[in-house]
Amino acid sequence: MRLTTGLHGYVVLRFSSGLEIRLHNLICAMILMMVAVVGGVALLTTGSTDSTFSDLVGLFDGDAVSGDVAFAIADVRLPRILMGFMAGWCVALTGAMLQSLAQNPLADPGLLGLSQGSLVVIMLVLVLFPGLPLIFTPLAGFAGGLAVAVLLMVLVGRHHSGGLGILLMGIAVETTLSSVTSILILYAPPEQSHAISSWLAGSLFHSDWSAVGSFAAWFVISIPAILVIGRKLRSLDLGDHMALALGEAVHITKPVILIVAVLLTAAATAAVGPLVFLGVMAPHLAWFISPAKGRARLFLAAMTGGFLVVAADGLTRLGSDQVALPTGLAIMMIGAPIFIISLRLRTISQARTG
Amino acid sequence: MTGRAKVFSAFILILMAAFFANLSLGATNIAPEDILLAFFSFDADNYDHFVVIYQRLPRVLIAVFVGSVMACSGAVLQGLMRNPLASPALLGINAGATLFVVGGVVFFGISSAFQGIAALIGGICGFGACLMVARMSGMDGNSRGLSLILSGAVVSMLFIGIANALLLSTPELRNEFLGWVTGNINHVYIDLLYQMWPVGVGGVVVLLILSRALTLIALGPEKAASAGVNIVLVSRLAIAAVVLSSSAAVAICGPIGFVGLVVPHIVRPLVGAKQTMIIPGCILVGASICLIADMVARLAFSPFVLHTGVMMDLFGGVVFAFVVRRYYLTPGLRRSL
Repeated sequence: MRLTTGLHGYVVLRFSSGLEIRLHNLICAMILMMVAVVGGVALLTTGSTDSTFSDLVGLFDGDAVSGDVAFAIADVRLPRILMGFMAGWCVALTGAMLQSLAQNPLADPGLLGLSQGSLVVIMLVLVLFPGLPLIFTPLAGFAGGLAVAVLLMVLVGRHHSGGLGILLMGIAVETTLSSVTSILILYAPPEQSHAISSWLAGSLFHSDWSAVGSFAAWFVISIPAILVIGRKLRSLDLGDHMALALGEAVHITKPVILIVAVLLTAAATAAVGPLVFLGVMAPHLAWFISPAKGRARLFLAAMTGGFLVVAADGLTRLGSDQVALPTGLAIMMIGAPIFIISLRLRTISQARTG
Repeated sequence: MTGRAKVFSAFILILMAAFFANLSLGATNIAPEDILLAFFSFDADNYDHFVVIYQRLPRVLIAVFVGSVMACSGAVLQGLMRNPLASPALLGINAGATLFVVGGVVFFGISSAFQGIAALIGGICGFGACLMVARMSGMDGNSRGLSLILSGAVVSMLFIGIANALLLSTPELRNEFLGWVTGNINHVYIDLLYQMWPVGVGGVVVLLILSRALTLIALGPEKAASAGVNIVLVSRLAIAAVVLSSSAAVAICGPIGFVGLVVPHIVRPLVGAKQTMIIPGCILVGASICLIADMVARLAFSPFVLHTGVMMDLFGGVVFAFVVRRYYLTPGLRRSL
């Protein structure tokens, strides 16, 4: 393992196996990781139950910590933070993959209606088969998300996927589906309806250790997926023709990537509800921090996504006590302006290229 | 009888049929002669008469009001913005009005008398936010105002998200307002209709008066100017009328989306491109569509009564997809999008 200068003139870390990592990407990833960990620790010690950093250290050392504090930290806050990070990771990853697939920098699982498709099917399954084990809900969501993706491809056609038309079509599909969700919200008994709405708004409130456990499986799957898909995306980003010329079996690769992306969205949607705009926001921010390609891009985007959700969750808890801000809304409030900025950047770059 | 006269008489017939069907069909079916009796010789002890006058007639009036106001607004917006998707629901007006009403109730506990005013202010803010976002996204010259619709969608998403969050945090208000937020035509909202109808009717009258100038503007600003139309004044007046009257409609029964999007697309192929014809056509067809949607919502899943807004979302979403495909995804536009 040594530091050299790569073909592009960047400083890279080269391993004996031939693997190269750009030093800049590596440093950025480490900084992001550190920020996420520091933020997580800070969040662990803030909340309505007073707790200090020494309580946290005591908890891990096995010292005696009062019951309330131990419960607040270990059973409420920690799973919530972990869940937020993992869900954000998956959604941001999906966004990055979809953007490459559609050749559209504004693609987002929430805006294109994939999350909406997942959650409609999940809700229908939960209503029609109440006894179904919870482990199946991501699969149901997968079916719904994939159905929406295929519908979009049929309605939009492959040649238009790069334009803004696909976003409008996604919004159209979303509104049609949202009528189904509003029926469920309106006719479920008040408590259930409340729970459904808070899930629809994107909420980490229900995260406990069992939810984290069942979601962790999907999170673990996403890592080999990044390693395999990142490489393919690198050539797909150059356009279909170039990818074919580089020896990429586009007709197989693209559907496979789509399936992985939809699976991850479905899992995240089932766990915390839809996180709209995160899929656009995280890859753009990651690009801003460190312009990377392929695997590094996916890793950085995913990490940014995870960090953003944890940060947004922290914001909602620091905010006022009267109005509990749902995490999804907090993300939307950060994400909408960034979405608009990226629209603007896109216009500028289009004007430049003519 | 000319073709246009035939079309208009068909519109009127459909409206009459929808009107009477809506009054007579329901949990108990009431014969048409009983409805006429209820109107002309009301008998307070007769249960059917009571149902017609105090339960169904208010619903019908609200549906007619909302349908015609929203449809006219949509037609005028589509003409002015030259955008086939422009409508109160997609330009943030509905969402703004909804957010302000919910916010006013949650934070200030405003009574229903002030809800209408809150909705009017909210509609203006929603539309303003949408325009501002569109300008910030820097695609004003973009083909067919696509950025405008996109920013409208983003603004609506944000506003509705905030409104829902406010309702989630106040469970006792939530039960009361949940129906309203999804767009519910209900006889209990008749008080709001009494209060808000002058705004809506005034708006529609203004649009009717301006309709000739609006047709000329739709042909192109230069042509309109050469025909002696004061473009700036007419557009501003028309937009003010649209925003205020559709916010008034939202104040009554919540955001019933997509009437404004759907109806002009039905009317335009039948009566031609003149706003003088489209606006009256939209009044008739919009009212009929709302009456029919209300009826379907009540009858399709009886004994459950669906909300009219939900029905319109379902139907309107499909039309929305169709319009996007027809206008934005046809070959030849690929480069410009």
